[in-house]
Amino acid sequence: MQKQRKSQPSNRVLVVGGGMGGIRAALDLAEAGRDVVLIEKAHAVGGLMAKLDRTFPTNNCDVCTLSPKLSESGRQLPLDIMTMTELDALDGSAGSFNATLKTSPRYIDLDKCTACGECYRKFPECVRFTPGLDPRAPTCMRYPQATPYAFSVDMAACSNVDALVNVCPTGAILREDNQRVEQLQVGSIVLALGAETFNPQALETYGYGTYPNVVTSLEYERILSASGPTLGELVRPSDGGRPKRIAWIQCVGSRGVQEHFVSYCSSACCMYALKEAIVTRERFDKEIEATVFYMDMRTSGKDYELYLQRAKNEYGIRFVRSRPHSIEPVIQDGGLTGELAISYVPHGGSQVLADRFDMVVLTTGFRVTEDMKALAAKIGVELNRHGYAKTDSLSPLATSKPGIYVCGMFESPKDIPETLVQGSAAACGALGHLSPLRVVSEGDEGFPPERDVAGEEPKIGVFVCDCGMSASGVVDLESLAGDVASIPGVAVAKTLKHACSAESLGQIESEIRDKKLNRVVIGGCSPRTHQTVFQDALRRAGLNKYLVEIANLRDQNVWVHSDHPAEALAKGKELLRMAVAAVRVAQPLKDYTLPVSKDVLVVGGGVAGMTASVKLADMGYQVSLVEKSGDLGGVARQVRKTIQGEDVRAFVDALIQRAEQHDKIQILKNAAVVDHSGVAGMFKTGVQVGADKAYREIEHGITILATGAVPNRPAEYLLGSSPAAVTQLDLEAILEDSPDKVKGWKQVVMIQCVGSRVPENPNCSRLCCQAAVKNALRIHALNPDAEIYVLYRDIRTPGFTEDYYREAREEGIVFVPYELADKPRVEANGEKALVTFTDPILTQQMKVSADCLVLSTGLVANRESTDDLGIIFHVPRTSDGYFLEDHVKLRPVDLEVPGVFVAGTAHSPKSIPESITQALAAASRAQTYLSMDTINFGAATATVDKDRCAACLICVRACPFDVPFINAEGYSQIDPTKCRGCGVCAAECPAKAIQLMQYEDDQILAKLDGLFERTA
Amino acid sequence: MENFEPVIVAYCCHYCAYTAADMAGSKRLSYPPNVKIIRVPCSGKVDMIHILKALEKGADGVYVAGCLEGDCHFNTGNVRASKRVAYIKKMLDEIGIGGERVEMFSMSAGMGERFAQTASEFTEKIRKLGPNPARAAA
Repeated sequence: MQKQRKSQPSNRVLVVGGGMGGIRAALDLAEAGRDVVLIEKAHAVGGLMAKLDRTFPTNNCDVCTLSPKLSESGRQLPLDIMTMTELDALDGSAGSFNATLKTSPRYIDLDKCTACGECYRKFPECVRFTPGLDPRAPTCMRYPQATPYAFSVDMAACSNVDALVNVCPTGAILREDNQRVEQLQVGSIVLALGAETFNPQALETYGYGTYPNVVTSLEYERILSASGPTLGELVRPSDGGRPKRIAWIQCVGSRGVQEHFVSYCSSACCMYALKEAIVTRERFDKEIEATVFYMDMRTSGKDYELYLQRAKNEYGIRFVRSRPHSIEPVIQDGGLTGELAISYVPHGGSQVLADRFDMVVLTTGFRVTEDMKALAAKIGVELNRHGYAKTDSLSPLATSKPGIYVCGMFESPKDIPETLVQGSAAACGALGHLSPLRVVSEGDEGFPPERDVAGEEPKIGVFVCDCGMSASGVVDLESLAGDVASIPGVAVAKTLKHACSAESLGQIESEIRDKKLNRVVIGGCSPRTHQTVFQDALRRAGLNKYLVEIANLRDQNVWVHSDHPAEALAKGKELLRMAVAAVRVAQPLKDYTLPVSKDVLVVGGGVAGMTASVKLADMGYQVSLVEKSGDLGGVARQVRKTIQGEDVRAFVDALIQRAEQHDKIQILKNAAVVDHSGVAGMFKTGVQVGADKAYREIEHGITILATGAVPNRPAEYLLGSSPAAVTQLDLEAILEDSPDKVKGWKQVVMIQCVGSRVPENPNCSRLCCQAAVKNALRIHALNPDAEIYVLYRDIRTPGFTEDYYREAREEGIVFVPYELADKPRVEANGEKALVTFTDPILTQQMKVSADCLVLSTGLVANRESTDDLGIIFHVPRTSDGYFLEDHVKLRPVDLEVPGVFVAGTAHSPKSIPESITQALAAASRAQTYLSMDTINFGAATATVDKDRCAACLICVRACPFDVPFINAEGYSQIDPTKCRGCGVCAAECPAKAIQLMQYEDDQILAKLDGLFERTA
Repeated sequence: MENFEPVIVAYCCHYCAYTAADMAGSKRLSYPPNVKIIRVPCSGKVDMIHILKALEKGADGVYVAGCLEGDCHFNTGNVRASKRVAYIKKMLDEIGIGGERVEMFSMSAGMGERFAQTASEFTEKIRKLGPNPARAAA
């Protein structure tokens, strides 16, 4: 298991914590050619995400999205995963740390364990299991794709060691195993420790632990999970019945100052409660009533607001603005009915109401762990007042100790996409302490030589994956496999659980070797996401990777036809037959490669663009920074202070100076991108610079788009017509430049969500709530007598920014909610603005004559830029004009085109610290490409049969990239390294002399044969 | 005729319509199972032969789904595809099979709803048209 560590310590990074953040950081570092050691205290990596059932916004199975990541880590990268291992001591300093790692005994030889489960069946008490609601999961492996795929034995619980050791068929159980201590030299460290969820047992009024039908959100997640204790059946813990009314209570243990509470917001809980409520209605029963008790719905992430609207409008989930004070069991005829009554005072009401539910889910937030505190103390990393790692908001991932970076929960509570962005960003920080020397990547990645299958009769193996419960629930997989088994040439046809798991991939590989298969068909999820996983399995088994065909049985069959199971089964058979027919004629192909350009193009000279440029330039890459306007700095130039009080202007000025003086950065101002071509590793981009529009061509290996968003200025609420009406950005300038004016104000009204969360612009602008709280506190500091009203829909101050919201309320700033149907009304009143709004507590109209009416107008996409650049760079946009990342959760800074990344507010509205973080993440992702010496073009290139070519020039004219030419021998020639593989020439060629490899005509026609031989 | 279930072949570009079809799956948007997708690297790769062979072998309708105009990963593959489809429609009209059995659609990768809607509408259209006469003759 232990890999030979080949490079010098100054090129090595230690990642502590094997959750999603740690995995992302470790993968980025390893792909950038660095030696990485990832340690995890538990028996397997995966962290909290691996416990979740489904994730928003697609509500699909987490295991399916997570597992390719983990088998990615199992690939031949310079990445060493050590489970059951902790960082025990640290000395040295950035560049040369000396870490002491302590590994607990597992009593299992990882090389021998096949996870057959024999030991668990015979001695369940000795084999470790998952705590919580999952008392007897089949294994100690928390989920089917656990890495490493092996058990762990608790020797202390074992009374008969001999019997236990003998039960193992492979002899993997070790009678003796000792704690191992290892010294490791590393250049830098990433801390990615996870938080724990709050245990609500301490809150007596909610009865958790007393009433069985009160569960935490994580337990509810396990109830929904296919691998959970009820195997994915939604049942009430008290009697196993199907609940009909379920309530979620938000902010349990968070956003409070009472005993047992933490004052901060746990950030991720609103979204996961919505997800649980939606999944409940969607998957189990549309009749189940779902109610969410909340204080503020905080759905401020990218497109999260749309999810909230779907929950309300499409799924009919009921929202009650209230923090319930107690849960009582319902007693009828002297006995408990299992029902629960929630008593609450609705916002604006005075009467206590009581609603009955069958189940109550307590949405519990996150807490620091003892591990975090102990580790911080051991290695000398300072913590903030909440016990999380102390960081500076303008260098968001650097801990107090140079060379040590933090990501994910250890930095602050957050959701999965933010954790992954931080994972990459922390990797970027860690890279800065390593020697610029890069390990040369090995070409063959350690795969065995390919078996020559030319001349062999097709021997096809068909493997049908159950894709968790999603596939097997709708169609009978055995009948699918049985159907294709009868096709001539099919040697094996079987079903597999989670085909992409390490175990199932191993099974596929041994079938290939044992049965001498020469073609493989996988029936499962989309080839878009999982093709490389199966291609790698073929390569490990000595087959060319193009001899596999994937039938998309999940995304394009069971997921869309669950309402027609009989037809879905018939279509599944057809899809498999099409794949079998196509793979039968597939030929082994060779990939083409070329050297990589190590230069970088950054478009957009705001904080995000400059941060990414400086980071990459510091690593020695040549950067071209293109800015449309005449100045660097972007919207951040209009912001003066962060909510934490840091001086933004000084920060931006310093950043501009660094970028302008960096000898590796070439800045092109007043420059517009006009054309773009090429592929990752060898892009060419045309730029027109200056008043005379001088054309310049830049060659670069990767692209970062950081074109920002623009401040919104809707003509609403007197904006532009009354001197009293200003935006939050205007107010920034007034506060700094005209404090005397502020001192004269008697009444100030702020209106939130102006031009955001409305039909024209449905998303939340994310930063306006923080801006309002920040600026209200600044007004209050200058002028404590001013009455300040903030009219809001939901106050969204995630994480520790909640502290400022509480401070604002304590300072007497008045926060009044309004509904979209009853917006505040304003009219000009001389120099002032008269604001009328409904006070929900007094239920009467209030009128305030505001000296200053501050409108929180937020940001809108810079459509002028994103639309043009989207077309030029061939990258998709969201419907509101932001760049659309490749995967909302797992690839949050990668765009669909390989080698193109997004940073800053061009992705979605975000704060300056968040923009900096995303820029660092993009710089880290960029280095995974820039560290390669060659790029792989794949094998989908057009080839010409010279005997059939009539040199008619049609292909020469048809090719969008001018690749074909008629050579000296009089036929069309296509350079495989220039060909992009669109196949237009092949389609146009009248002589059918051109074939696009991987998509040859005979393969496409074979699919038609496969389809129609049964319908005919 | 009453229980006629048409067979539809949809040639979908990897970069847009195929992804949109996956997106329809992620969002659990249902559409008729009659539609069978064949993935191509670009709608411009879809040859006239692919469309005509599908009809000859028994498809009742065929459509090509490519990127929105200006979004083609290969600049103009989608434009070529739509010209090719227009040509085939004319030819099918002339020989009496009916050009309405073949169609070109465009959508972006994010348009799961549009994929499902297009699949449903096209299936209904072909269902009304009845079986492909070339298939009936065969």
